[in-house]
Amino acid sequence: MYAIAAFVIAFVVIESVFFIVKAWKRGRELGISKETLKNTVFSSILFTIAPALSILTTVIVLASALGIVLPWIRLSVIGNLAYETVASETMLNVFGSSLSTEITDPAQFGAVAWVMTIGTSFALVLLPIMCKTIQIRVGKAVHKSEKSSAAADVISAAAFIGIIAAFIARAIYGKTPDGVGDAGFMSVCTLVTAVIVSLILETLCEKFNLKKLAPFAMPLSMFAAMGMAVVLNLVVPEAVSSFTWWG
Amino acid sequence: MRDNNTAALSPYYNKVHTWGRLWSVGALIVLLSVPTAICTYLGVWPDASSVFKALVKVIPIYWITAVVEVLTYTPMLGAGGTYLSFVTGNIANLKLPCGLNAMENAKVKANSEEGEVISTISIGVSAITTTVIIAVGVVIFAPVLGKLTDPDSVFSPAFTYILPALFGALGAGYFRKHWKISFFPIVVGVVVLLFAPTLAVGTLIFVTIVASVGGALLMMKFKLV
Repeated sequence: MYAIAAFVIAFVVIESVFFIVKAWKRGRELGISKETLKNTVFSSILFTIAPALSILTTVIVLASALGIVLPWIRLSVIGNLAYETVASETMLNVFGSSLSTEITDPAQFGAVAWVMTIGTSFALVLLPIMCKTIQIRVGKAVHKSEKSSAAADVISAAAFIGIIAAFIARAIYGKTPDGVGDAGFMSVCTLVTAVIVSLILETLCEKFNLKKLAPFAMPLSMFAAMGMAVVLNLVVPEAVSSFTWWG
Repeated sequence: MRDNNTAALSPYYNKVHTWGRLWSVGALIVLLSVPTAICTYLGVWPDASSVFKALVKVIPIYWITAVVEVLTYTPMLGAGGTYLSFVTGNIANLKLPCGLNAMENAKVKANSEEGEVISTISIGVSAITTTVIIAVGVVIFAPVLGKLTDPDSVFSPAFTYILPALFGALGAGYFRKHWKISFFPIVVGVVVLLFAPTLAVGTLIFVTIVASVGGALLMMKFKLV
């Protein structure tokens, strides 16, 4: 089982290294400075630490029912916090079981592995067919708008903001299927802290020309907001800290 | 003779799509080999009808979400970033914000070749970092992390509210620069959640992007931005 995990993880790492090397070479050809490329690497590592710890938590949570290897494989490749939990729980419910109990039947274990894989692999079938066409159509649309006006920048920013808006809206009024992390006092305070700290750090970077701090402003703001969630949970009365729109 | 798609992209993009297609097919084979290897190793194969019963419930949600995600993320992450993200997973909660942050820091656009390069490097580095953290964590920190994230742990809220922390920090810069077009998609997102509070994030993202781009176009038409 560990050999399977090692094989899958090696595949992911080799693919990532392959694309990084090709992109790095192309970046240098395009005149992107080594400093910019290095900053991208370091800020991406820092950015990844906290979410990766959260993913590790899911591996450990799922491990109580599925053992450590299958969740480890699934969340190292293609997997996702929500998908893996829902897929395994759905399969186990068919057997009259759930993730709250350890699976001891090998047939059930195999069934969970199949449902996780088939459920989440469809994007890998779609990508080779659709990715190039989508990129060409979007490229043409952007090119057309660049020719007619300066609207491309606004449209591009609007698309980014659309993604972020979904998560902001969830922090304001979202509900999770398991009730953990529902929107309410804590989610809004964490969100507001992240926004305020990020704005302060960005302003400081601009005002004092702190070029080396700038790439780390975002991850530092995220850690500050996570710290605020811990502090609020300790100092605010439980009736307030546990308030959500969903009771 | 080159097809229209090949002619419309630069040679680097065409190479990325060739590599991406090969790696995606390879990843699919590797992924399918996991349950095959597990069942072979355990010497038992699951009952097909039971697996089918679970798949009937899972596939309509996951496969529709997959279509929406491919349509939504490809323009945002570029070709290399998209191929890498869909193999390495955890897109919405990690690869997407990581790629967006890197492009913002490097001051490059998503649909430029520079954006393609920065996004690919960022997502590749993020995938390796995640893999290392999970591997090290599983071997060394599993007992400690379980205590850290236990609902009774003092650090538990930090992990429970990681997404508001992540997207609040990421959004601040965009909101400051483009505050006029930022309110509408958030309001639309909240209104949608009023009626469907547990709506999958992949679907909600699609709605808020349409609202955001549509709102921005309208504001431009009326010369408000």
